[in-house]
Amino acid sequence: MIYLENITKIYDKSKKKALDNISVHIKPKEFVIFVGLSGAGKSTLTKLITREEQPTSGKIVVGGIDYAKLKKRDIPYLRRKIGVVFQDFKLLPKKTIYENIAYALEVAGISGKTIRQRVPQILKMVGLENKKDDFPKMLSGGEMQRVAIARALVHEPKILIADEPTGNLDPKNAWEIIDLLLKVNEYGTTVILTTHNREIVNTLKKRVITLRNGKLIKDQEVGRYALQ
Amino acid sequence: MMFTTLYRLIKTGFKNFLRNGWLSIASTIIMTLTLFIISIFLIGNIVLSQGIQTIQDKIDISVYLNDNVPGQTVLDMQKELSDNQNVKIVRYVSKDEAKQKYEEKFASNKQLKESLDDSGGNPLPASLEIKTYDPNKISSLLPIFNENKYKPIVRKVSYQENKDTIDRLVKFTQFIRTVGWSVAALLIITSLIIIYNTIRTAIYTHKDEIEIMKLVGANPWFIKGPFLVEGIMYGVFGTVASLAALYVMLRLLVNFLNGYFGTGNIGNGVFGFLLQNLGTLIILLLATGIIIGGTSSTVAIRKYLKKS
Repeated sequence: MIYLENITKIYDKSKKKALDNISVHIKPKEFVIFVGLSGAGKSTLTKLITREEQPTSGKIVVGGIDYAKLKKRDIPYLRRKIGVVFQDFKLLPKKTIYENIAYALEVAGISGKTIRQRVPQILKMVGLENKKDDFPKMLSGGEMQRVAIARALVHEPKILIADEPTGNLDPKNAWEIIDLLLKVNEYGTTVILTTHNREIVNTLKKRVITLRNGKLIKDQEVGRYALQ
Repeated sequence: MMFTTLYRLIKTGFKNFLRNGWLSIASTIIMTLTLFIISIFLIGNIVLSQGIQTIQDKIDISVYLNDNVPGQTVLDMQKELSDNQNVKIVRYVSKDEAKQKYEEKFASNKQLKESLDDSGGNPLPASLEIKTYDPNKISSLLPIFNENKYKPIVRKVSYQENKDTIDRLVKFTQFIRTVGWSVAALLIITSLIIIYNTIRTAIYTHKDEIEIMKLVGANPWFIKGPFLVEGIMYGVFGTVASLAALYVMLRLLVNFLNGYFGTGNIGNGVFGFLLQNLGTLIILLLATGIIIGGTSSTVAIRKYLKKS
């Protein structure tokens, strides 16, 4: 599903290696956790997969698409196959929950009929069908993150990237989000979770890839939190 | 899908326009001013060109003849003139015809008419009216009138007045053109800059939305389109507003002129002329407005949405 080969990323400004010769292979339907402190390179890695950034050197192939050969005009289609959620949710405050999710379909040119079918389905899946007319500020952090996940899933992507999705949440809400991600994974979506929450990593017993200062220091099939 | 996308991005562009508030108004005003000035110079230009044409179509040379000259000599001169390459038409105007014309011309002016009657008989000379192909080469004809056989019959040759008027009009038109296009160019540049900044602000205001659009794989046109629509909208609104302003200005001008000259028929001419050329004017203004607005937004979009 995702091949990263000898990836090095140096940002123009800092001249520092954000990623240093990283190679990772993620299989379809896998649940992978990237662990690392801030600045370890987790976000850079996810940005490379969503093609927001390009590697300084190395090869990226996702879903059979070689990023080196990817044309600029095909990037939007790629993004519809990769859902992304962030710590700060990135919802539009002036749109209702329903509109926030419908928006992702609208801007892709999906017909109104399809939108009216698909949005209620996805709202039901994340358990927010009662809040569809609320605005984001009326929701709790956990609920906002569920809206973000719903939006990320609305294109039925093959991959879901959750970049520190529980960073702003209390433990109860955090676990609700993790449960939702596990459910999404069960339905067959490859899930990439980045976190530095020790409890979550140790409880999940999933594959854990640990990064430190841009280097891959551990890749375990059933991993534990290994940072001090 | 094409239609849905088009509808959505026009809707979004319209919303942006409304949300931009004062910036939208400023952009519309400068666009209106630009198009208004351009239309005034366009109309002025056409009016002046037509004026010049009308004067040029008039008689280039009038050769006034002495009374009681031999008819054969007049015919000879008429033939010699007709044979000249530069001469289009030579027409003989008899004394009676000259009087008739004079009376027609001053029909409304009793005093002038009576002065002719009072003189007893007909003081107006017969003449040859000459129309040339190139009024600038009139001087080549002058030697003919100085030939010995024709000298006795020629009373006066009149040509200079028209030429001077035309020269002055041409110079004036050129001056108006230079000033007009300089002012228009300056306003076009100002419009470009102001609209560019408005669109840039609009992009900045929507940066969260744009980020999310990119994130969820929006069609690139859905990101750029609304800003282009907004830019084009300034052109469309500017055209409508400038035409309205033009109409109001001409109304006031015509009312003033009608009052000044005590007639009511100046308006018909002006508005008839405007109506005749309205289609062309609208197309020209719309094209100019859309090009200005479209260019500004395209540059702003290119510069601020470069990264995908």
